[in-house]
Amino acid sequence: MSDSVMTEVAAVKIKEDNCSGCSTCIYVCPFEAIKKDKTTGKTVLEIEKCQVCGLCYSTCPAKAIDSLYYDVDSLTSYLEKAKQKYASDTLVVMCKGSAPDFTGVEKLFGLKSFVPLSVPCVGRVPEEIFLKAMLMGIQKMNVLACDTDYCRFEHGSAVTRRKIAGLNMLLEQLGYGKDAITFKRNSLKVTVDANSCIRCGNCVWFCPYQAAKLDSPGAVTFDLTLCRGCGLCVAMCPALALDLENWERQRISTIVSKMASEVKTPSVLVFRCQWAVFPSLDGMEPSANVRFIDMPCASRVDTSHVLEALQKGADGVLIAACSEEDCKQEKSSGKAKHSVDKLNEKLAQIGLKDKVQFCTVAPRFPDKFTRELEQFCAKIGGVKESR
Amino acid sequence: MIVTVQKPLNELLDFISPYGKILLAGCDGCTQPPRGLREANTLAQLLELGGKLRDKNFKFKTTTIAKQCDSHLTATMLKPQLEGIDAIMSLACGIGVQEIAQAFPEVPVFPAQNTVFFGAEERDKGAIEERCAGCGNCLLPLTGGICPIARCSKGLTSGACGGSKQGKCELSPEKDCAWVLIYNQLKKQGKLELLKQSRAPRDYQLTGWRVTT
Repeated sequence: MSDSVMTEVAAVKIKEDNCSGCSTCIYVCPFEAIKKDKTTGKTVLEIEKCQVCGLCYSTCPAKAIDSLYYDVDSLTSYLEKAKQKYASDTLVVMCKGSAPDFTGVEKLFGLKSFVPLSVPCVGRVPEEIFLKAMLMGIQKMNVLACDTDYCRFEHGSAVTRRKIAGLNMLLEQLGYGKDAITFKRNSLKVTVDANSCIRCGNCVWFCPYQAAKLDSPGAVTFDLTLCRGCGLCVAMCPALALDLENWERQRISTIVSKMASEVKTPSVLVFRCQWAVFPSLDGMEPSANVRFIDMPCASRVDTSHVLEALQKGADGVLIAACSEEDCKQEKSSGKAKHSVDKLNEKLAQIGLKDKVQFCTVAPRFPDKFTRELEQFCAKIGGVKESR
Repeated sequence: MIVTVQKPLNELLDFISPYGKILLAGCDGCTQPPRGLREANTLAQLLELGGKLRDKNFKFKTTTIAKQCDSHLTATMLKPQLEGIDAIMSLACGIGVQEIAQAFPEVPVFPAQNTVFFGAEERDKGAIEERCAGCGNCLLPLTGGICPIARCSKGLTSGACGGSKQGKCELSPEKDCAWVLIYNQLKKQGKLELLKQSRAPRDYQLTGWRVTT
């Protein structure tokens, strides 16, 4: 391991002094990143294996785990502000992986308005947050997790289900009625426009999960039980016949246009895989020169959206992806890199070199993304001035 | 499939520089990767960006045709879209470009692609390789389903040359010697005696220029 890795600030830490050695975190970790050291008997975290799902953080009974993301304090202060902002007494805690847009969430739960709390995996939200929300005056609580086989953190969704069931039993005993917290599952998958399909077979070729099928006459069909919603097929479909729920081409296009028009020059648009960079709770942007567009996986980053950003005036586009090892989607981030490389070859031909960059980052070392972004902004700023 | 490689964008910008409004016509047919609507839209975006750097304000319209090599289909699909169009750029193989040129002789048409060969995608190699040369006299029954015309650099029809080394062609250490592939394939099939069959040299007249339908 290199020195630079050793000195990186890690997003998850075990506080030795608080640890009771109960091993709950070891059992709950989906990635076998926590172990008991055989010689010292201490519980140790191998940060390189950690995917920062936060299950250990929310489960540790001794509060011996520190998390840089979505800790109790930041969740609480977010909820206080959000309750004012959204003026509702209904809370929806949802996973970024499976939550549709606001209207979609309202429809799923039959709501008119709600306070959203959107995080990468609901499993990271400790039970006390639900109780705090009730004390803040929240009347109705809802949880939206991913379908179990869709969960990006192996069994994050299953752990969440058990936690909510436990919490509901507790609340029932306290007199809040049965199922005080409504629990639902969802996932966002591919859709086919049968009229546009040209039966070229590209999606069958690219799908890492063998979900695309061309075994009958007519348009391609998808076995949605196999689709994991990475969006690779959507970005590769030559006929624009595919789309991904909640990440529709048109929707991303609208976001790109809006952001490219409001960002200050020298401007950088960042397409970030939501599993590689965890967004802040309130969606705050770091500066007037940078805007973030979250993606379900770097492989959903569409060449056309990158070009659209440049057409609308963005000075640079950064694509932040997971490494192939960390990719939640069968090394799809490698495919994404390949697409960006190809695009850069073409951009160089028309005199737009170094405008688009691909980087791999992970939430376990948040500073790395900050550094990548700073360096890219400096490069783009420099290019702009030298013109 | 027919394999094409996109021409350098500078060349394409030179083609269209005298014109203002250009129709980019994709083809959903056999080119690989399919040069359909996505490719047409992407090309429009790239050429628009490239044009801006050259102080050109091109306007693009994009469309796609099921197969541009079908002259009737191409003519009927494109005709209603030509209003105000100064030039057409075709994303199809060389055949599609010529069908458009024939259907609309008054509109300049340019190829966006270089057409290179008939081939298949090799998934592991991340590449498309030539598989058929359209020679007019298919030898595949004699060669275990591996074409020596397309895959042997010299197109030899009766065995490897002296340049075959460790199964590779002398032209490139990455290129398989087609005759070694053929030998191994026939061995697996227990049909090595096919190699002893004498065969006439390739008849170049067979490629011809027309077949009647």
